[in-house]
Amino acid sequence: MGSSGTSNGLISAREAGLVACQRCGQVHAQGVRNCKRCDGPLQSRDTESLQKVWAWLVAGVIAYIPANLYPMLLTNTLVEHSESTIIGGVVDLIHHGSVGIAIIVFVASVVIPIGKFIAVIYLALSVQQQSSSNQHGRHHAYEMVEFIGRWSMIDVFVVAILSALVQLDTIATINPGIAAVSFALSVIFTMLAAQSFDSRLIWDADRTQNE
Amino acid sequence: MSEPNSTGPAPLDVRPVKQRIWRRLSLVWIVPILALSVSLFAAWQNYNDRGTLITISFENAAGVTAGETRIKYRDVTVGEVEKVEFAPGLGDVLVHARVDKNIAPYLDDDAEFWVVRPDVSVRGITGLETVLSGVYIEGNWDTEADVAQEEFVGLENAVLTLAGQRGTRVTLRAIDGSSVSAGAPVLHKGIEVGYLETPELNHDGTEVIVTAFIQSPYDRRLTSSTRFWDTSGFSVSFGTGGVSLDVSSLASLIEGGVAFDTVVSGGAPVEDGHMFSIFDDEQTARDSLFTDPDAEVLKVAVLFEESVSGLTIGSEVRFQGIRVGEVSEISAIVVGEGDTAQVRLQTVLEIEPARLGLPDGSTTEDAISLLSDFVARGLRARMVTGNILSGTLMIQLVEIENALPAIMTLTEGPYPVIPTTESQISDVAATAEGVLARINALPVEELMDGAIDLMDSIERLANDENTRLAPESLVALLDESRALIANDDLQSVPKDLREVIAELDAIVSRATELDLVGDIDGAIASATQAATNIEEATRNLPEISAQIEALTAKANALELDALVASANSTLDSIDALIASDDTMDLPGALNGSLEEMRLFLAEVREGGAIENVNAALASANEAAQAIEEAVAGLPNLSARANSLVSETQAVIASYGERSRFSAETMATMRDIQSAADSLTALARTIQRNPSSLLTGR
Repeated sequence: MGSSGTSNGLISAREAGLVACQRCGQVHAQGVRNCKRCDGPLQSRDTESLQKVWAWLVAGVIAYIPANLYPMLLTNTLVEHSESTIIGGVVDLIHHGSVGIAIIVFVASVVIPIGKFIAVIYLALSVQQQSSSNQHGRHHAYEMVEFIGRWSMIDVFVVAILSALVQLDTIATINPGIAAVSFALSVIFTMLAAQSFDSRLIWDADRTQNE
Repeated sequence: MSEPNSTGPAPLDVRPVKQRIWRRLSLVWIVPILALSVSLFAAWQNYNDRGTLITISFENAAGVTAGETRIKYRDVTVGEVEKVEFAPGLGDVLVHARVDKNIAPYLDDDAEFWVVRPDVSVRGITGLETVLSGVYIEGNWDTEADVAQEEFVGLENAVLTLAGQRGTRVTLRAIDGSSVSAGAPVLHKGIEVGYLETPELNHDGTEVIVTAFIQSPYDRRLTSSTRFWDTSGFSVSFGTGGVSLDVSSLASLIEGGVAFDTVVSGGAPVEDGHMFSIFDDEQTARDSLFTDPDAEVLKVAVLFEESVSGLTIGSEVRFQGIRVGEVSEISAIVVGEGDTAQVRLQTVLEIEPARLGLPDGSTTEDAISLLSDFVARGLRARMVTGNILSGTLMIQLVEIENALPAIMTLTEGPYPVIPTTESQISDVAATAEGVLARINALPVEELMDGAIDLMDSIERLANDENTRLAPESLVALLDESRALIANDDLQSVPKDLREVIAELDAIVSRATELDLVGDIDGAIASATQAATNIEEATRNLPEISAQIEALTAKANALELDALVASANSTLDSIDALIASDDTMDLPGALNGSLEEMRLFLAEVREGGAIENVNAALASANEAAQAIEEAVAGLPNLSARANSLVSETQAVIASYGERSRFSAETMATMRDIQSAADSLTALARTIQRNPSSLLTGR
């Protein structure tokens, strides 16, 4: 507590004996339980943050597996019944020449979720190991993960819209497959994982080391 | 979530971490655990539900697509193709498919798979749904689980009998497999009750074996006395029943097929696999019921004296119209010995005792005794014509009333002999020959020659220019004739003639009248005669003579005879013309005019001039006769005339020459003289040639 001086020359609120409300930003003295302004719980550090991150992350990864194994779209036309998985759909799109859309789908459905997993794992591990390297970079990564996570839902929206629009009875119908639900769950879980991450821990690491 | 900071920072460092981890474990961990468990459960379930992988090898797997082609059992999807690949050696296509777990145990060695494709055949269109949805693999297996297998050999064509169908499968054997093709219908009383499966040769290649599936409940009609026969195509039979054309269904016409029927009751029900024979046709099949090879037959012989041509082995033997057997043997044997030896034709009949009405189980002895009784009552064998056209014969066993007593000889020869009676063979050939001979005997050729000659003549005649001209000349002639007839002159001829005759009549009647009045006529005639006779002597009458001659000349000038002659000749020629054959051929119009003319001529002949002329001639004849009579009395008359003349002269002399009376009298006298002259001339002419008036010459 009395220690001063970090590698970046920054003083954390905790070091200053303060605690900031995570919701509204109101700064309180340490020891206050609830925010005076928004009545939200005050915690200098979320001690269960990593647990939650890991839990949500694991759930997200688990959900992501069927999202890729099972079909996303069930297309029934008069002559054919097709089930396309995420990767299968991307491949189909490439075969049909829609490389742009294929890239968008691929990025939104594969690159971003996996990137998120990696980023969150990296952040969680780094905090666990109390790594002090590249704190700024890690913080950026965390913000990026939080921001970009919601865009992964684009795939789910596409499926939802298609399913709602293309219901021509016998001629052609499109229904969401199991993967759509799994994928949506996976996205939600990873978003929760990202949210559960207490970014303040990034900055605690070197202090702990330094201490 | 407890907040450790609330109790102060100090305990933070001394708490044993290990113990607290469990307590401080976030509830959030429930989520991944839940997710994991759900996933694991789903995965396990998926794995558990995953069907059994089977491999079907096909020669041709056209249309089978991995991930799309389904496997169906009785139209319910039970699996899906996962992979299609070639077997090593590229001989077959291996289709890897997953079938439902609960189905897999039933896939034992009787399971069959085939690819369902659209198929158009005589019996209809099948698999149409696969046109849009793509082919699928149909499986067929029974409902009993056996040792499950995982590798199967796919069939090229659909099996016909699905496992779910109930029915009876019987084995048919045929000499010729042309009538049996896979899928060909099995008919019973005309309706399709089953079908044939793929025919195969039997082990030694002498017969074709085919399995027929008869659907339930029709299979109940199958008994051991059922007979199958070939209905393929159409059959034309030419037997004792005449010609019969038999065509079954269109499908069987093209694909072949068999039919069956159970004619007699009492057969035992059949099990699967019962063996039947396929007969060539229905008649044979039905007849075969009576020629059960196992049945005991009675062989009897019949000795015929006449020719048995037309009788063949297999010819029917009928008893009271019912077939009781057939001819099994025809041979010649010698009957008697020495001089009495005769050659007889022995026909051996196979008679089935059961057909004679004897109960089942009757022995041949029973049949023989029965036949012996019948023979004693007059049963005889004879040949009758079975078919009048083909001339086939059959043997009939008939009871002849008042037959000569005979018995069935049981001891001579190997067979009992049934006595014969006169055969009733209507030999159509002989009859036809007779008819032909008679036709042959007809003088057809002479007739033809004559006809040809006639034709030639007609042709020549027709071609002859004269013939061609004939109608024209005839027409011209007719025209002329018509013109002649129409000519007023000619038409007036009869009138003139009539007038002349009337005049003549008048003259004659006047003469007659004169005669009647006062023998004046006679006197005049006498005077005339006298004048003629004593022309020289009586010089006073030269003038009278001259006048009479003039009158005669005038009458002659009338040329009656010429007229009559010419009229006659005209009539003759017209008659000839009309009677002429050529005229007959003239058109009807001409005939009309001819008819007209004939009528006219008939009129002329009948009521017209001729009659009048004849009448006139008759009158003239009478007159002539009168004149002759008168002439005969001429001497007296002359004397009287002389006296009269002298008296007259005396009167005249007394009255004076210039008196009016005298003048009148003189005129009268002169008239009388001229009339007498004429008469005299006439009379002379008639005397010279009395018939001239009649003959016209």
